[in-house]
Amino acid sequence: MGHEKIQVLLVEDNPGDARLMKVFLAESSANFEVTHTFRLSEAKEYLAHERPDAVLLDLGLPDSQGLATLRATRKAAPGVPAVVLTGLNDEELAVQALKEGAQDYLCKGTIASNLLIQSLRYAIERQRLQAETEQVRLQQIALKDEFLSHVSHELRSPLNAIYQFVSILSDGLAGECNPQQREYLQIITRNLAELQSMIGELLDVTRAGAGKLSVDLQLTSVSQGVEDAMNTVKGAAEAKGVCLTADVPSNLPRAYADPSRLRQVLVNLLGNAIKFTPAKGKVSLKAWAVPGESEMLQFAIADTGSGISPEFCERIFERLYQVAGTNGGRQGLGLGLYICRELVAKQGGRIWVDNSSKDGSTFCFTLPVLSLPTLLAPILSQESGASRSLALIKVELWSPGGWTTEGTRETLAQEARYALGRCVLAELDVVLPKVEVAGDSEFVFLAARADVKGAEVIVRRIKGQLQRNEAERREQAEWCVDVRMIPFADGAEKWPKEELSKKMANIVQNELEEWTRVPRGDKL
Amino acid sequence: MSRKRILIVDDDPDVRLGLHVRLKANDYETHFAADGLTAICEARKCQPDLIILDLGLPGGDGYSVMERLQKNPEWACIPIIVLSARDAKTDRERAGKAGARYYMQKPAKNEVLLGAIHRLLGDEVPSNYEH
Repeated sequence: MGHEKIQVLLVEDNPGDARLMKVFLAESSANFEVTHTFRLSEAKEYLAHERPDAVLLDLGLPDSQGLATLRATRKAAPGVPAVVLTGLNDEELAVQALKEGAQDYLCKGTIASNLLIQSLRYAIERQRLQAETEQVRLQQIALKDEFLSHVSHELRSPLNAIYQFVSILSDGLAGECNPQQREYLQIITRNLAELQSMIGELLDVTRAGAGKLSVDLQLTSVSQGVEDAMNTVKGAAEAKGVCLTADVPSNLPRAYADPSRLRQVLVNLLGNAIKFTPAKGKVSLKAWAVPGESEMLQFAIADTGSGISPEFCERIFERLYQVAGTNGGRQGLGLGLYICRELVAKQGGRIWVDNSSKDGSTFCFTLPVLSLPTLLAPILSQESGASRSLALIKVELWSPGGWTTEGTRETLAQEARYALGRCVLAELDVVLPKVEVAGDSEFVFLAARADVKGAEVIVRRIKGQLQRNEAERREQAEWCVDVRMIPFADGAEKWPKEELSKKMANIVQNELEEWTRVPRGDKL
Repeated sequence: MSRKRILIVDDDPDVRLGLHVRLKANDYETHFAADGLTAICEARKCQPDLIILDLGLPGGDGYSVMERLQKNPEWACIPIIVLSARDAKTDRERAGKAGARYYMQKPAKNEVLLGAIHRLLGDEVPSNYEH
């Protein structure tokens, strides 16, 4: 026991107090090794390289006062127990310090040798126990997530078999069905779909818990997403006699989001709204650009259901939360809103319940817009010798027989992106983010500050890059490179910079929409 | 005209039977393997026009089956559709790199699966299957 070495960092600006502590610690049977600093800055320097067993910390230092001293120390040495030293009449401060994670406090002037040593030993021991508990907790979460992921995979196999044979029966491959049999088989099919989406939710939750929920951010068409989501839930609304409407302005800018995740969130919120709205009720979806906050889009899904009491408005987004006593029918897993919140947050937005309307409830969420003006500003503000035009360059990739796997499509798009990246001049060009398109083509765009000649050079280089990569490809893919010149308006140089970026961004945006809308066949 | 042959590789007998009924109804001849090793033997024996392959298999998983098929130039050109319960992005990408032409998650919709088969075999796609 006497050989055990305990490293203590003593941070104390009063030389007398410091001397006393050192004497006390030297009296112990344990082998305390004390490093002493006078200031917080010195302590931080020491902690950057060393990890003592405990810190004995005076909160009032020349370069830091009060709880800030504790916070800074804990930040510099996470997981190292801290015992704070306070003045005689500072119990309140001491209690605050405990709340902020100090392991113990000692009042200067009442400290005796055995008290100091006991306090340090307890602090070290408590810290160790806490760390152990935390580790066990994390292990249990990981274990549970692994189990859930395994379960949801295993559930898929029997589900698959049921689907196969139900569809065999209803398609008449094992003899014709009578109308009643067909109707019953449809009920089975509908329930299968429900089961399947629940399994998907389970998987998403385990991923969210592990921080692995994937989102693939790109310039996403909101109207497309809304249309798809409406089509998915249309049947459920009709079956229940709920009127379903959507109002999305056609000139809404693209969201910088994941298209499939946007659909998932919309389907979930619309599905919920339909579920909790009685027959003849209304469910409406709206989307708009947030006024005054041009970088955000807002979505609102309003229903005429029973509404949500204010006290539940926060909690419904929690994992596994169900409002008790809501309608007697099926409740689902209680994971949908939690997943929505995680997905929206991952895409840079937020989600909440707006309770201001008299009947029903309104779910709102936001998604960011990628600001083209900000993206283009650096290349537009380039002055010396730069061309008086932008070249918008498009690389389009497609597979003549259609893409076989999403993987190859993605790999090729990445390759094109990479090829473009290699042709870019840091101050004159910018590769635009991925753009969601409805068709079978994959697009990559580059905006360059260049004139016609400059654009030709860039296109030649891009083509060269793509040709070089062609030999290694497994899948045959076709590609074409196209350019549009966007000249500056007369006197554009004299405009304020923001106005120039805004106007040019508008034109670029329109060109992008135009380009991605026209099917390939028409252009060749 | 002889019917086109499809090799179904899945360790779940229900899946094999279900696919058999569905494919037979669409005029394909079916062959079966329940593990990776048998899959290679069957591929040699029946010379399939297309393979539907599960990933989690006893006796060498789906990836090792694709690897071995790819090594032999005679088999490398047989189109493979992966049909698996897994849906991780990593599996999709890995399967694509290993030579799979389509990746589908169980349960795959019949019209999607048949559409892919028709496309890969160059058969006429019935209009109601086109998406």
